[in-house]
Amino acid sequence: MTTDYRSAVQEAVAGALGLGEDEVTPDATLMDDLGAESIDLLDILFRIERSTGVKIAASDLGDEMQGGIPEDDFGTPEGHVSRQGLDYLHDVVMPQLDPDEWEGKLQAEEVINHFTVQNLADMVGRRAGK
Amino acid sequence: MQASSNRPGLRIRVGVDVVGIDRVGRLVDENAGLLDEVFSAREQAYCLAKRATRNRHLAGRFAAKEAVLKAFGTGLATRMRWTDVEILNERSGRPKVELHGEVAAFADRGGLSDLDVSVSHSDGIAVSHAVAVWMDGDALPPD
Repeated sequence: MTTDYRSAVQEAVAGALGLGEDEVTPDATLMDDLGAESIDLLDILFRIERSTGVKIAASDLGDEMQGGIPEDDFGTPEGHVSRQGLDYLHDVVMPQLDPDEWEGKLQAEEVINHFTVQNLADMVGRRAGK
Repeated sequence: MQASSNRPGLRIRVGVDVVGIDRVGRLVDENAGLLDEVFSAREQAYCLAKRATRNRHLAGRFAAKEAVLKAFGTGLATRMRWTDVEILNERSGRPKVELHGEVAAFADRGGLSDLDVSVSHSDGIAVSHAVAVWMDGDALPPD
């Protein structure tokens, strides 16, 4: 199932960013590695919607990453992602993020910078299953 | 120069964004839901009435929304919507910003004192520059 969405996501990312699909590897981060900006994200998500029928609004990405955890529980007063937030990210959204490594270091605004092609494919799969 | 160093809490932040006019037009044409996701009813009414230059106006507003969110240091953060940053026009044509929803709440928390945007277009590109003045800049995300 995930493999199908991975292919659709790779195609959408390559099309929106003008890249070859071989450049859009599963572990590439959309923002840092591939250089996507907000309008690219918008383009990518609408391409995915057209090819898969799965709708994810760009403005829903933050909610998806936070998983319904209240703002005060997801972040610390210093602006870092809390341990609870890191555990959720690792378990559901970004398994590549090691909570032990990032505790007290990851700013909430930086989470999106770690979001990979595979993470997006998995998110599409979860949304399709709802 | 640290212009605000003698005024604790005061912080000035800027944001700039550039988008391709044809790309915004294509996205709008290809995706029926995009207009409502990104542009308020008032923004749509203004831009769609400018038939010959619709894409230029839509692209300018998109760039302005992004410039404002960059000046806020958040990007499109959790629960924020593009329609929370509404780009309207003074009678003179000068753009003005109205904030709504989570973006307005963020502005209140940070003590936003002033916010201004400018928009321009040339050679298929729309560019916008936003300046935000915060009275409680310590509440903002770190640089």
